[in-house]
Amino acid sequence: MILFGKVALGVVGTAVAGVGLLCSEGLVEVKVVERQPQVHHVYVIAPAMLASIAVHFAPQKDLSHAAAEIRPWMPTIRAALDQLRETDDMTLVEVKEPGEHVRVAKEGGSIVVDVEDKDDTVHVSTPIRAISSTMEQLAAAGPSL
Amino acid sequence: MRKRLCGIGMICVLAGMVATAPAAMAGPTERYLHVKVEDASKGESVNVNVPLSMAEKILPTINKGDMHNGHVKIGHADMDDVDIRALLDAVRAAPDNEFVTVKEKDQDVRVAKSNGNLVVHVRDGNKGGQKVDITVPMKVVDALLSTAKDNELDVSAAIKALSDAGDSLLVTVEDASQHVRIWVDSKGSQE
Repeated sequence: MILFGKVALGVVGTAVAGVGLLCSEGLVEVKVVERQPQVHHVYVIAPAMLASIAVHFAPQKDLSHAAAEIRPWMPTIRAALDQLRETDDMTLVEVKEPGEHVRVAKEGGSIVVDVEDKDDTVHVSTPIRAISSTMEQLAAAGPSL
Repeated sequence: MRKRLCGIGMICVLAGMVATAPAAMAGPTERYLHVKVEDASKGESVNVNVPLSMAEKILPTINKGDMHNGHVKIGHADMDDVDIRALLDAVRAAPDNEFVTVKEKDQDVRVAKSNGNLVVHVRDGNKGGQKVDITVPMKVVDALLSTAKDNELDVSAAIKALSDAGDSLLVTVEDASQHVRIWVDSKGSQE
């Protein structure tokens, strides 16, 4: 009985540690509401670390072009993300047109994109830390120049 | 009696230090560059807000085309052989004055230096014509010219000077339907 308890504790501990590790970069939140032709709600919350893991396991040949393109811009991306992390919550870009509204903001350590038009409402929230590590993974992919 | 006075004095000094400590410990106030474009006829608007500290850190990392390490190269060919650096240097050294006034039937242009700012006004007299007002603090002009090379402007230093210059309305452009405003303040939003 004690042995069973120890095994259970080990399994639960490992699971908790795994979930903690997986969620260490925060969570990506995607919310989509389609209004036409029928109303559909899609709501997904996923660990942001999955993006870096996906880049790690993606075929290198498919990423090499993107990696080559992004590499020269990495100092700029790093500086921008570092500053975004430090800045207060704010709206960075907002575009309003009749029937359409797009907003890109920094909210609590995440970049939030809200798009609203007559057919759909889309909300995507991605932790800056996750964007940073995914970019680093992407830049490191493929042959070095 | 003397001890009591000394004690009260110490308490006053400590109270003063406690009261001023947060202000002294707080870093420089963050300033934001705001751009607002409105088109009333189409009901469209675009708002962009950028922390100046971010622009200051990002600019030196861009090394492409004429931009490198926060400096931008100005080719004489692009400026129709006008020496922009010499021109700005002359304006900087001159006292407050109206430098250029052009009055035509349909257009009115004024370039002046006033209260430490370089001011440009353009008025188009036609119906629905544009009104342009540009105000650039001279400290920003100084910073632009602070680079040693003749054919370069130090944009990074200019952004820093803009950040230090306080709240200011830099550019307004208005015509019959469109309205553009560019300004700097310490608010993260445009409300």
